[in-house]
Amino acid sequence: MSGARVAQAPGGRRALGETGHLLLTVAPGALWLLIFLVLPGIYLMSVAFMTNGPYGQPQMPLTLDAFERLAGYGILGWSPANLYTLLRSLTQTLVATLLVVAISYPLAYHISTAKARWRPVMLLALVVPSWTNQVIRTFGWMNLLAPGTPLAGLAESLSLIPPNMGLYPSNIAVTLGLVYNFLPFMVLPLYAAFEKLDISQVEAAQDLYASPLRTFWHAVFPQTLPGLLAGVVLVAIPAFGMYVVSELLGGGKHMLLGNLVARQFAGGANWPLGAAGAILMLLATFAGLYVMRRMGRRLGGGNEVVI
Amino acid sequence: MTRHGLRRGLRVFWWLTLVFLYLPLAVVVLYSFNASNSAAHFTGVSLRWYYRLMGNEALLSALGNSLLLAVVSSLIALLLGTLIGYGMFHHRWRRLGWLVVLIYLPLVLPDIVFGIAEMAFFVQVERLTGWLSPGLGTMIIAHVSFQIPFVALIVYSRLVGLDPSLFEAAKDLYASPWQRACHFLVPTLRPALISGVFLSFTLSLDDFVISFFTSGPESATLPIYIWGAIRKGVSPEINAIATLMIAAVALVAVASLLLGRQRAGRG
Repeated sequence: MSGARVAQAPGGRRALGETGHLLLTVAPGALWLLIFLVLPGIYLMSVAFMTNGPYGQPQMPLTLDAFERLAGYGILGWSPANLYTLLRSLTQTLVATLLVVAISYPLAYHISTAKARWRPVMLLALVVPSWTNQVIRTFGWMNLLAPGTPLAGLAESLSLIPPNMGLYPSNIAVTLGLVYNFLPFMVLPLYAAFEKLDISQVEAAQDLYASPLRTFWHAVFPQTLPGLLAGVVLVAIPAFGMYVVSELLGGGKHMLLGNLVARQFAGGANWPLGAAGAILMLLATFAGLYVMRRMGRRLGGGNEVVI
Repeated sequence: MTRHGLRRGLRVFWWLTLVFLYLPLAVVVLYSFNASNSAAHFTGVSLRWYYRLMGNEALLSALGNSLLLAVVSSLIALLLGTLIGYGMFHHRWRRLGWLVVLIYLPLVLPDIVFGIAEMAFFVQVERLTGWLSPGLGTMIIAHVSFQIPFVALIVYSRLVGLDPSLFEAAKDLYASPWQRACHFLVPTLRPALISGVFLSFTLSLDDFVISFFTSGPESATLPIYIWGAIRKGVSPEINAIATLMIAAVALVAVASLLLGRQRAGRG
């Protein structure tokens, strides 16, 4: 703030040229983000290259220890635990995203063909659950999947789980939680794509006696691709960084990269290892964004992709 | 005939999805009225968990923290974000690519990375200078950092959508930049400012991960309190708090539906 005011002070309005104007408007917020977001980010990245101190605080000699630990090399030799966590994050993200896509297509189509006055109500009905806090939503699933509940009883009678066990913590519970959390983020962009759908292409395909599957694949799918890409960005990236759902419904045995990272900063107290995990997560995020942008550009309508 | 079948299938699928989406919330609401404290059995209707909430001081202070954090952070974000949005618009012909990257950074960062980066930074600053010990202050700083982009982008898109001749007219009408800001910019931007501050407020209330990693011992917010209670063991009391929060969301949803209807009716 003060820097901007100095620019204004000496000559009044005339001295406040275009650069002064830029400083006065953009600088306070930009400085805030630089100091309180970029600087912490740089610090975190540098922590990944430091040595882990006796109390978990990062120390000076720069090493690649943290990355070796992340790959599984510890004092006791190599263990696959961290790689399993990484693999689990990737598969959970993939499975959850595919499930969300499979559920969202019929839903988005259904809403787009409903009567115009009902569409806003239907969209609202889909979105409202995600307005409640994530912790509460996940807690709701804990209630549903706990031992002794009808769902757990059903799984027990089908001998899917041993008696007196709940359906969580488990990988399936985490997948369920991810799908539950991110469904609206896929339905909304897909619905926007369906609303703009050029129906004449679909009719042309039907006139040529294309099977429903071929009609979908050649006339509908390409038109909804921008919406799908936007949805994948909105679902896969936060799913890969998930913390709450996997902590509550997964626990230690089924944790994701986000939980591994968080544990190093809380109980585990190995900041460099946690920071190395965070770098991995950032790389995956930016790689995902980059691929989606490239695909969006190739479609021509690159602006349709939200991010 | 098959088309009819498809329609019916879709309708069934739609209702099943709604059951899937609302069932976990419904269970929370149902168990909040449970007379027994077993999560598996519903023995009768009672309000005992709600009564127990009223005497819970930790909970009330968490509610106060949540509201204070949301109000203060969204007001700071409103000021800084509006300035950035306006600056981006005014200087949109300059090369401001770095600014766009800076603005989008908080939006694409995974929450968990955002949270631990802030936490590591605050701990280090405190170790070096004694400032920024974890508490409401650090939480406000972190929240403002993720709220600024939303306000800036909302304000920017509102300005881009305006007729350029409006700015010329304002220049002719009002001599000083201050007059222009008070009599032209703020009134025309009002819808953007309101939705910006409202969005920031709700984002702050809803946030758990970033708050969790930047909070101190005395500054637990409502989601952090609930998280702690869940970790200690599932108690029916959590159902009662959660039900009150779900009720608040339901109220907002109904209000937005009615408002939408009214606007559609007028248009």
